Amino acid sequence: MVSIKDGIIIALENKNGVFNTETLDTLKQLTKRFKKFEEIDKDDVTSLYTADNIIGTEDGMDVKSFYKRVPKSEEKLKQLRENVVNNEMVFGRLVSTDETVTVIIAEIGDDVFTQKFYNEILETAKASQTDDIKVYVAGRPIVEGTMALLGPADMKKMVPIVILVIFLVLFITLRSFKGTLITLGVVFLSTIWAFGLMATVGIPIYAVSTMIPVMLIAIGVADGIHLYSHLQVFINHYPNATKKEATIDMIKHLWKPVVMTSVTTAVGFISLLTSQVYPVKYFGIFTAFGVMMAMVFSLVFLPAGIMIFGLPKAKPIDKDEDKGGHSHSKLANSFAVWIIEHKYVSIVGTAVIVILSIIGMQKIWINSSFLEKFEKNSEIVLTDKFINEHFGGTSTLNLILDANGKKDVFKEPAVLKLVDKMQKDVDGQLQIVGNTFSLADYINRMNKVMNADEEEFNTIPDSKDMIAQYLLLYEMSGDPENLNKVVDYDYEKANITFQLKSDNSKAMDASLAIIKTYKDDFHKLGITMNYAGSGYKGLVFTDLILEGQIMSLILSLIIIVVLLSLMFKNTMIGLIGSVPIIITALISFGVMGFLDIPLNTTTALLSSIAIGIGIDYAVHFLEQYRHNATTTDNRMVAAQKTMAHSGRAIIYNAIVVIAGFLVLLFSVFPPNRELGALVSLNMFTSFVGTLTIMLVLLYMSKVYFKKKNIEK
Amino acid sequence: MKTLKFSLIVSILALSMGVNAQELTGREIVDKAYNLPTGDDITSTLTMTLINKSGQSRVRKIQQYTKDLGKIEKSIMFFLSPADVKNTSFMNWTYDSDKSDDQWIYLPALKKVKRISSDSKSDYFMGSDFTYDDLGDRKLDADTHKLLREESTNGQECYVVESVSIDEDYIYSKTITWINKANFVGVKKEFYDEDEELLKILTIKEVKEISGFWTITHSEMENVQKNHKTAIELDNIKINTGVPASKFSERMMMRGM
Repeated sequence: MVSIKDGIIIALENKNGVFNTETLDTLKQLTKRFKKFEEIDKDDVTSLYTADNIIGTEDGMDVKSFYKRVPKSEEKLKQLRENVVNNEMVFGRLVSTDETVTVIIAEIGDDVFTQKFYNEILETAKASQTDDIKVYVAGRPIVEGTMALLGPADMKKMVPIVILVIFLVLFITLRSFKGTLITLGVVFLSTIWAFGLMATVGIPIYAVSTMIPVMLIAIGVADGIHLYSHLQVFINHYPNATKKEATIDMIKHLWKPVVMTSVTTAVGFISLLTSQVYPVKYFGIFTAFGVMMAMVFSLVFLPAGIMIFGLPKAKPIDKDEDKGGHSHSKLANSFAVWIIEHKYVSIVGTAVIVILSIIGMQKIWINSSFLEKFEKNSEIVLTDKFINEHFGGTSTLNLILDANGKKDVFKEPAVLKLVDKMQKDVDGQLQIVGNTFSLADYINRMNKVMNADEEEFNTIPDSKDMIAQYLLLYEMSGDPENLNKVVDYDYEKANITFQLKSDNSKAMDASLAIIKTYKDDFHKLGITMNYAGSGYKGLVFTDLILEGQIMSLILSLIIIVVLLSLMFKNTMIGLIGSVPIIITALISFGVMGFLDIPLNTTTALLSSIAIGIGIDYAVHFLEQYRHNATTTDNRMVAAQKTMAHSGRAIIYNAIVVIAGFLVLLFSVFPPNRELGALVSLNMFTSFVGTLTIMLVLLYMSKVYFKKKNIEK
Repeated sequence: MKTLKFSLIVSILALSMGVNAQELTGREIVDKAYNLPTGDDITSTLTMTLINKSGQSRVRKIQQYTKDLGKIEKSIMFFLSPADVKNTSFMNWTYDSDKSDDQWIYLPALKKVKRISSDSKSDYFMGSDFTYDDLGDRKLDADTHKLLREESTNGQECYVVESVSIDEDYIYSKTITWINKANFVGVKKEFYDEDEELLKILTIKEVKEISGFWTITHSEMENVQKNHKTAIELDNIKINTGVPASKFSERMMMRGM
């Protein structure tokens, strides 16, 4: 097999040039040190110290290492420099063309990357720094490693601040210290249970798992807010009620919507099981579990807490005051009337927003870049940029050509010529492609040096025997291990490496587009194409996640409509209830399109979660409306009462969650900022949608009032 | 090349050497092993099988001639198979002095003889797991030798000698060799890398007496770190048939066998 592994790049920079004893010695020592890492195979470390120098001489060819002993004399250093500069297999690849940087490439397997290994690499690199020599570390595994560390680390710092803000806002809205504590207690307990279960069944914590507490905070407080809000309204109406009466009324009225919202939310998360990415699946399952636990705790601990700590203070309602409507709240009455009387504002507004969102969605692009998740001026981005400026690129796309079991195909001139042509085509057409490398490069080089170093022989020879003999010659004089990276033992599989200066999906897609034009040509030669490499893997991974996301988005939408219809025993309610979340999803994508925020794993995940959370507002509102409809024949009365009751709780809920998540905007880690902004936005649109367009549709549909003809 | 003569082709039993072996130092034992008498010329067909860790193999058949001309030892090889490299030939001159080897290659597709130079004896021989040094080019005083113990391996009484490289940059930090006490032919050898980790194991699978000379006809080198193996088998061995010195020229390389 051709071995394809991700490379860690260790770059040594010496502004005075690298061809001096000190730099070459550091390079040698570091190369040897990396060979000794347990996680790295000795043969997977490449640098100027390990590379073969194939050079043409007057009467033949010479293959030797560039140096074994570190050259000390001026003369030897000059000779080494000349050898490097004249060898295009090395110059620009292992030593930068401005001669100030040289790299060590250490390839590692998929499964060896650990925190400890990561730290060791960084420490080893740092330890080699001197006044003249700077050492940089880059490459996909490092980027992924840094991200896996940075995301959760940043979250660890931000979560307490989020909780503090939520606590404060919760306190201001509930106006009850006890209520705030109990509500947050429910959130903590459900989080602990979710992580506890994860630990019990032996599921490791992935980067995405750090979002579980964040989600549970956002969802868990809702139950508490609605319960307390109801309680407050009840005791305001009946200041003399006992705490038992108040609690019983609260549970009686709210157990249903609390259960319904929890189930719909959990279903939203469980739909993530359609994802093919395991950490995302786990995230879905355990968040769903946490949501259900939050429900249980809300229905058990909250009433228990009230029984123990007592009721909040009542603010008795002045029954004689003109409220301008049918509920106890003047504001709610006038708001509901305004919304319904100006229903076309909502309808037209929604239509405009939907159209704008759809336009915005066209601009959405998918980005699998890991690097672009970091700050533009963060060390890792700067290092990557630095290496990309000096070398071929830090992101790789590997094309595996497979002759499907036919041996010696990659000694055929026609095949190698096509490979060579493709490489030059991709390299020439795309700025972003810094380098390409394959067996063809070896053959070109050998052909040139065997023909007195004449540039016109820097081509693939026409004879298969010639190629076979060059390869034999290379094996006899060079390190045959080097060939293993480009071709397999039987010459039936070849690996072509494209180095890209960016890991974003646009770069990858552009390269793939050119490569794919060669598909038919290779097919005619009996060769199939496959892809690998860190860049490509990122692309596939993102595609997988997105595909799963879109699947789960559609699935959860359908399930929620069905669930709502069943719960309310009314299809119309199911459809009306889904309107706010559809708008939420549309706006979310639309805004991303307009703001040029690419769809990536974080943002895609959020959109489907938004549905699960956004539906809660609608459920509470609908349930309250249904309840109020039983006590009146007037739709406006029901609307006003619902607005005063559920509407209030929904606004509180939205304020608390949005305030909490806006805190994440101050995060140093861009994906966490995106998370904060998008959750806030989604909560905002869900709540506005519920209280405006949904109410209008509810009113217009006359649902629950159809059989009652006594309209005002 | 001396190489093929010593370890590969001929390692010869000198019956007279068994005398008073107990007194020998490590250095003396290795000296005797390195300097076993050989024929003046050897002709043989060599089959080299390379096996990688996935079990895929490459098989090469080579016709080879070696002649000892006193201060120079010359060898010439012609590839018989695989077909795409047939008639490719390789010539090597090894000098008794410190002068490095001269090597030529003839590629029939190119129709030209080219000199190739290699700076190091630690290069691998034709993509195999043998370096030129492993094949016998190693000089006695490049290492310090120490007799570790005497033990029996595969039913043969052996000296076990440790040889530590004097040059710290050498690819092997040390080797441990099992040498047959009776005939000073090697039986087994372990090679340790720069980090003193076991790198390769050489096993002598078959030794035959041909024309009065003990000759290794089948040996196997396994690189335990790379899981790569090379087996070398010799057939049609003829010793002292009077191969002419004129055989070892660029003209002969082009003409073929």
